[in-house]
Amino acid sequence: MTLKECYAAMGSNYDEVLGRMRSERLVQKFVLKFADDGSFDLLQKSLAAQNYAEAFRAAHTIKGVCQNLSLSKLGASSSALAEALRGGGWSEEAAALVEETTRDYQETISAIRAFQEALGG
Amino acid sequence: MDDSELNRAILADMLDEEYEIIEAENGLEGVAVLQLQGMDIALVLLDIVMPEMDGFGVLGVMRQNNWIEDIPVIMISAESGSSHIERAYDLGVTDFISRPFDALIVHRRVVNTILLYAKQKRLAGMVADQIYENEQRSSLLIDILSHIVEFRNGESGLHVLNVRTLTELLLKHLVQKTDRYPLSPADIAMISTASALHDIGKISIDEKILNKPGRFTDEEFAIMKTHSMAGAEMLQNLPIHQNDPLVKVAYDICRWHHERYDGRGYPDGLVGDEIPIAAQIVALADVYDALTSKRCYKAAYDHETAVNMILEGKCGAFNPLLLECLTETAPTIPAQLDESVNPAQRDQREMKNMMMEIRRHEELTASERTLQLLEHERMKYSFFAAMTQEIQFEFTLSPPMVTLSAFGAEKLGLDEIIMDPLQNEKVCGLMDEMERKGLSDSLRSTTPEHPVITYDCRLNLRGERRWFQITARAVWSADEPPRYTGAIGKAIDTHESRMRLDALERMASHDSLTGLLNHAYAKKRILERMELRSASNFALVIFDLDHFKSANDNLGHAFGDHVLMYVAEKLRQSIRGGDIAARVGGDEFLIFLEYKEDVDIVIDRIFQSLCGVYEGFAISISMGVARTDVVGSNYDDLFHAADQALYTVKRSGRGRFRFYDKTMHNMLSAITPIDNGGEQR
Repeated sequence: MTLKECYAAMGSNYDEVLGRMRSERLVQKFVLKFADDGSFDLLQKSLAAQNYAEAFRAAHTIKGVCQNLSLSKLGASSSALAEALRGGGWSEEAAALVEETTRDYQETISAIRAFQEALGG
Repeated sequence: MDDSELNRAILADMLDEEYEIIEAENGLEGVAVLQLQGMDIALVLLDIVMPEMDGFGVLGVMRQNNWIEDIPVIMISAESGSSHIERAYDLGVTDFISRPFDALIVHRRVVNTILLYAKQKRLAGMVADQIYENEQRSSLLIDILSHIVEFRNGESGLHVLNVRTLTELLLKHLVQKTDRYPLSPADIAMISTASALHDIGKISIDEKILNKPGRFTDEEFAIMKTHSMAGAEMLQNLPIHQNDPLVKVAYDICRWHHERYDGRGYPDGLVGDEIPIAAQIVALADVYDALTSKRCYKAAYDHETAVNMILEGKCGAFNPLLLECLTETAPTIPAQLDESVNPAQRDQREMKNMMMEIRRHEELTASERTLQLLEHERMKYSFFAAMTQEIQFEFTLSPPMVTLSAFGAEKLGLDEIIMDPLQNEKVCGLMDEMERKGLSDSLRSTTPEHPVITYDCRLNLRGERRWFQITARAVWSADEPPRYTGAIGKAIDTHESRMRLDALERMASHDSLTGLLNHAYAKKRILERMELRSASNFALVIFDLDHFKSANDNLGHAFGDHVLMYVAEKLRQSIRGGDIAARVGGDEFLIFLEYKEDVDIVIDRIFQSLCGVYEGFAISISMGVARTDVVGSNYDDLFHAADQALYTVKRSGRGRFRFYDKTMHNMLSAITPIDNGGEQR
C-alpha cells in the first residue's frame, strides 16, 4: 500500500497534502504519528464524562490536525462535531456527529495501520 | 503554542532547520516560556483554542507586559471566522494563518516577520547609535587603546571589558545604597568608560617586566609602580581635550587606582575619600578581575575565593562601603562577566542600559526632585499641623483659593480646598464681610520685610460667634514692585481665654451687686469720654437714696440690697446708650452724660424715673449735678462739685436735685470717704 493509496482509503486527497507539505517524508511521518495522537481518546473520555467544553477542544484539535494533513473526510465530520459542541451544549445532532466522527476516525486509523504494515512496521 | 503535539510537530518540522523551537502545549506554559526567555524569543506561533489559557489570553498577557512590541506573533488557527481574525489583529498579532496551512507559506511568513522585526530593531538601534554616536566612537577608541595595552601585557583582552562592567555594576549599586557620592547616571557611564584607560601607563613599562612570570624584584616593582603616574601624565599632556570631563575622570583613575583606603598605596599615599571615588571603584574592580583571571604569574581563582580574599583584606584596603557593595552584588557578578556573552552582545546590553538610564535620567529632572522635596515638605507640614491641632490655612489670590489643614477644615466645617472662597457661602457665613475686609486690609498693609500680622476676629462657628486670633504672614511676590499674592497663617480659637479675660475685666470694672460700673472704672471711662469729645458739654450726677440707712436697719441688709439692685435697674433703663452709670459705693450712684441743651430736662426725667416704691419702701433720692461748662473738665473738680450740690440738697430737705453753682463753693462733701472708690482729694 502506498501513501497515496492510504489517503484514498481515508477518503482524502494525497495530492493536496503533498502540495502543501512539499515532502512525502513529512506527510508520511505525520500521518503515522496521527495514529498515536491522543485527541480522539480525549474526545471519547470527555463525552463519557459529559465534559462538552473539553470535548469541543478535542474535536477542534482533531479538525485542525486533519486540516494540516488534508484528512478531509474525518476533518469534515470532526469540524461539524466541533461546531455542534461549541458553547458546551449537547444535542441529538451532536450525538449523530459523534457516531459519524467515530466511524471516520476508525476508517482513517485502519487505513493508516494497513499502510504501516505495508511499510513493514 | 498549540495544544496538539502533532500540530506543533508539523510546524516545528517546517522551521527547525533555521530556528530553535520551544514548544508549549497551552497558553499558561507559553506565557511562562515568554517570561523566562523574554526578548530571546524571535517569534511566537500561536493557536487560539487551547486549554488553561487560550491564544487571546496569551495576547492579553503579552500586551500587558509590552512583550507584543518586541516579539511578533503569528496566529495559526482552524478558526477562520473573520471575527476571530479581527480580534487577533486588534490584540496585536502580526499575521494570521488559517489551517490548513502551506508549509512554504508558513515558512516564508515566519522568516519575513522575523526579518521585519529585526530590521525594525536595527533601525531603532541605528537611531540610538546616532544619538550616542560620540560615546560609542570614543568607547571604541578607548577599547582599541586599552586593548593595545593588554596586548603588550599578554592579558586575556577581556580585562578592560570586565573592569568596565564591574565598575558600572558597583557604581550603580553604590548610588542606590548611599548618597554620599552624588553621581548621576551620566557620571556612572563616564566613569565606566574611563575605567578602560586605567592601565594605559603600562605602555611605558618594559615588556620584560610586564610579562615576567615570577615575583618582581624591588627594582622591577618600583618600575612597575610608575605605570599609574605615567598614565596620568599621558592624559595630562594631551594636546587637546585636557578639560574634557572624561579625560579628567580618566586622569583620576589612572593616577590613583593603586591607592589604598588605608593610605598605604601608591603613588601619592592618599587616604580614605581623598582618593576619588572613581579610582576607588576601579581599583576594586581591577583587583577582582586580576584575581579571577589567569595571569602569567598565577592561576585564576574562582569567584567566591576572589570575593572572600578581597573582603578579608588580602588584596588591599578598600572603602568599607565599597566592600559592602561587592558583597551585595557578588551573586550577580559571574553572570555579568559570563564569557559566553560576547562583547558585541554586551555592548548591546550596555547600550540598552544606557538608553534606559537616560530615559530614567530624563524623568528624574530637577522638577522631579523638586516635587519630591515638596512632597516631603508637605508631609512634614501636614503631620505637624495634625499634631498641633491648629487651624492652618493658605490663601492665594490667583487662583483665588484657600487650603486648610485637615484639622482646620474639620473644625471650621469647611472643605480642605476651597476655590473662590469669597463666593463660597460657607466661608462668607463663617466670617462676615467686615472681618474679611479687616483681615484683608491688614495683610495688604504689610510689607515684604514685615509681613506678619495678628488679627482678632469673631467667626461664626456652627451657629456660635467665637473669638479667634489669626496670625498670618502675607506672601509678597519677588518681583519689583512686590505684589501681594496671598497669605499663610493659622487661626487659634481664643474664645475661652478671651471670655475669661472679659469676665476678669468685668469683675474688675463692675460692681458685683448691681452690675453697674464701679467708681474707679467709671472714672476711667469718663476721662476717656471727655478726652475724646473735648468740645462737648457733660454733666456729672451723684445721687443717693434718702433714708436708706433706716431701711437697711429696719428691713434687713438683704432687703437693702434688693432696693439697690432695683434702683440700679431703674437707672440702667433711664439713661441713654452713651451715658455712663456707676455705683460709687453704699447707696450712692453716679451718672455721666453728654448734653447739648436743656440739661435740666434730661436730669429731671432721670430723677423722676428713679423715684418710686419698691415693696412698700418709698424710694426718694437726693441728687447733685455738676456741669463741665460751669466747673470745667477736671474730673476731681466735677466730682467734688456734684458732691457739694448733693450736700446742699441733703441739707435743704432731700428728695430733689440741684445743679452746682458758685454759691455751694464752701459746702462740705456728702460722700463718706470710705465709700468713695474714686481718688478724691
